[in-house]
Amino acid sequence: MYQLKAAVGRTLQLGLVLWAVVTILFLMFRLMPGNPMAAYIDPTFTEEQQLALMAQFGLDKPLWEQYFIYLANLVQGELGQSFRYREPVAERILALLPNTLILTFTSLIIAYVFGVLAGAYLAWRRGSAVEQAAIPVVLTTRAMPEFWLGMVLLAIFSFWLGWFPAGGTRSAGTDHGSLLGLYTSSDFLSHLALPALTLAIYSQGLPLLLMRSNMLDVMKEDFVTMARIKGLSNWTVVVRHAARNALLPVMTSFAIAVGYQLQGNVVVESVFSWPGLGRELVNAVSASDYPLAQGAFLMIAIVVILMNLIADLLYALLDPRVTHV
Amino acid sequence: MSETAIARPGLVSRLFGALRLPTNDPFAVAGLVIYAVFVLTAIFADQIAPYDPTEILYTEEFDLAADLRPGEQGFVLGTTSLGRDIFSQIVHGSRSALLIGVTAALMVALIGSIVGLVSGYFGGWVDALLMRLADIAFGIPFLPFVIVLAAFLEPSIWNVVFAMALVLWRDTGRVIRSQVLTLRSRGYVEAARVAGSSNLRIIMRHIAPNILPLSFLYGSIAIGWAILTEASISFLGFGDPSQISWGYMLQDAFASQALAKQAYYWFVPPGICIILVVSAGFFITRGYENILFPKLGR
Amino acid sequence: MNEILLSVRDLEVGYKVGRRIIHAVDGASFDVPRGAIVGLVGESGCGKTTVARALTRVIADNALITGGQMLFDGRDIAALPEREMNRLRWRDIAFIPQSAMNSLDPVYTVEYQLNEVLRRRGGLSARQARLRSEELFEMVGIEPGRLRDFPHQFSGGMRQRVAIALALALNPKLIIADEPVTALDVIVQRQILDQLRELQSQLGISVILVTHDISVVAYVCDRVVVMYAGRVAEAGPMAATITRPAHPYTIGLRNAFPDLQGAADGMLVPIEGAPPSLVEPPPGCRFAPRCPFALERCRLEVPETHVLADGHSAACHRSGEADMLRAEGSKTQTWLSA
Repeated sequence: MYQLKAAVGRTLQLGLVLWAVVTILFLMFRLMPGNPMAAYIDPTFTEEQQLALMAQFGLDKPLWEQYFIYLANLVQGELGQSFRYREPVAERILALLPNTLILTFTSLIIAYVFGVLAGAYLAWRRGSAVEQAAIPVVLTTRAMPEFWLGMVLLAIFSFWLGWFPAGGTRSAGTDHGSLLGLYTSSDFLSHLALPALTLAIYSQGLPLLLMRSNMLDVMKEDFVTMARIKGLSNWTVVVRHAARNALLPVMTSFAIAVGYQLQGNVVVESVFSWPGLGRELVNAVSASDYPLAQGAFLMIAIVVILMNLIADLLYALLDPRVTHV
Repeated sequence: MSETAIARPGLVSRLFGALRLPTNDPFAVAGLVIYAVFVLTAIFADQIAPYDPTEILYTEEFDLAADLRPGEQGFVLGTTSLGRDIFSQIVHGSRSALLIGVTAALMVALIGSIVGLVSGYFGGWVDALLMRLADIAFGIPFLPFVIVLAAFLEPSIWNVVFAMALVLWRDTGRVIRSQVLTLRSRGYVEAARVAGSSNLRIIMRHIAPNILPLSFLYGSIAIGWAILTEASISFLGFGDPSQISWGYMLQDAFASQALAKQAYYWFVPPGICIILVVSAGFFITRGYENILFPKLGR
Repeated sequence: MNEILLSVRDLEVGYKVGRRIIHAVDGASFDVPRGAIVGLVGESGCGKTTVARALTRVIADNALITGGQMLFDGRDIAALPEREMNRLRWRDIAFIPQSAMNSLDPVYTVEYQLNEVLRRRGGLSARQARLRSEELFEMVGIEPGRLRDFPHQFSGGMRQRVAIALALALNPKLIIADEPVTALDVIVQRQILDQLRELQSQLGISVILVTHDISVVAYVCDRVVVMYAGRVAEAGPMAATITRPAHPYTIGLRNAFPDLQGAADGMLVPIEGAPPSLVEPPPGCRFAPRCPFALERCRLEVPETHVLADGHSAACHRSGEADMLRAEGSKTQTWLSA
């Protein structure tokens, strides 16, 4: 009962945050210099289109009224028309979302599997030469601009060795029928490899360092000593007790990392011409396609906030001290 | 926070105590040396760089000095596709990097510390309000926010600093706040209050000196963040093309097919410079961590 | 079969600090008879916990056993290869820690942690392990329905009972209980101690009860071993040692604690000062600097262990004058002027 209340409370709180972000976005796009209608109406639209949009977004009404119309439209998933594509922003964004999520989750899963294992290993080998050498290397990967890493990998593996394609999600002229057909094709996977590797190399540092320092703390706990006094095998002590406990905060950090990753995606998607939300945001801003930029930003913000919520709930789910009161 | 740091009297000596350079950690020393080299390069950029970084150069045969490899015609790191000297661009790029890094770090540390201090010390509705603002700031995806901001503002390296000041105070603010809460619950703050010290006096004498090291730590991390963010923004083409930065160089290289031309000499050095400066910050803060939080050290 | 289950002889345990080795236990000898509860008592830092942990051979990373023997059932466990030692752990030598909260893994149910020992260490089948878990819970007086609960869902006293159940799981010959009731309030302390004694006598297990509280020793133990600064000051049958102590330290210790059974006789008098630094221990008797009866000789010569009566011995130069020591030592004035 208590947990349910806490979960509902947290959800409401993040709902408020979302509302605040939406409001900030509204103000940013309305208060920008120039014609306030530019947020939705491109001068090249036909007169009927212009009038229809004026009515739909109440652009001739006072600002506060526009705000409520904006909120009402948002709730219905109405984000306006893209200037460049002449199609509803919501449709375009929903079509791009899977690409971004696939890239994000693939890279993060690789990063976390590697980071957790390597972090546990380094904690176990504390003070060894391997550990001494590894920590600065890991810190260096955190200091790299992700897009630069992407450029280097691209120059080597694509342009020099020719092992992987240079960008996009599929080779020219290929058609995989359905979306599922595309995502399971080897062609898609070879396009995915380099951007996913780039993001994974950048992201592995967080779980690695977190896992390592948690392991070092947990190894000092009484229950680990007790497990040894019980005569349990080294594997049982280190994996079932130490690692299992150290893993808890690392798992929750995964959801937070998804949020951060979406930001990194913006640049990496641009390097690899990966048709995702981040690249769309950049292109829309460059082309002054305001409705699309607004929509893409909003979608990213929603995922970030949602992931914060999931992180909280995941923690409650994984830690019996929270679940079983 | 070590007990000795708290027990030591006097603001000035505490300041020096807090900023004492961690010379016993080889990584921290390496970080400081890197910083020193880059600061000197930035200051003497005009003397070090053989050419103006935006100047279009010609060979002795009066051809455009485009896409020259390192060493050719005396260009140390070669030239860009438009015939500009890469080495000179690298040297001048350090100026943007340090300018952005230092100002952004100052802003983030200053705003974050003030928010944390006010929030933690006064509590009540001020605290509630500021922490809800921090929640909102946590809900804003930072890099996309900078990009959208760039859409409305004139291209300038200051956009990054502005955006960081608007959003990234949240991390520092929260940490400082919890530190202030711990400090406030300690006896001597209570004692000072009972003795009739004013709030301002208590903050300045008892609390500010103790959170200074933390502000410093977060400020140093912000230097790296600022440089990385500026690089990303410039790379995406929202930077100021008249101001040479490492991010701009990477964008120029990427757009000029440097990858396909295998012109590593063009896009590898700016990346290395970014890595060096950002990781120097990490190494130094790692050294400070050992001093600031002895328990975290092994 | 030998009457003595465990015989510790001249045990030395040191901690590496820098290049030096600091001896926390410096030549301790004592016996643990079968089926007896032996209290290992002393102030914090006297080496009693180090002895307890040395008996499991799970010691701190920087600690090492530098000398002596620990003859357990005729085998010297100080010299046993790690593999063979590991076979003894928990099956023959179990452990009850001070804080059951921290020593139970928070992310597993109590049942999982019992199962782990029963199945991995005891070789029981899943069904056998379940029955045994229920039996163990009944033995320590917890409703078996609570097996599925997590450690944090138990109260402090209940957790300590869980720890006892865990220790009994594989029918060990020896249980080492390191301050098992220190964290609990007095009423719960008594319940837990009663339970421990009942189960111990019922099952014929030997127990080493490590505590700083001599009244706990008086309440449950058959024998007492008083440690001071890494050495044994006095050892003997509980009644004789408590009523007729022969070492000034034991006399002082007795004065410093309330009686667990209720009526405290006389004032509580603390022993002034603190145990000596083990980096530079005093050359003679280690208690001499705090001892109101210390002579010149005490400060220079290490006292031999004098046997006073059957199984009762004290390491004191003046143990021949024990009657005088007791008479003077029970006066508050004696300790204040020291």
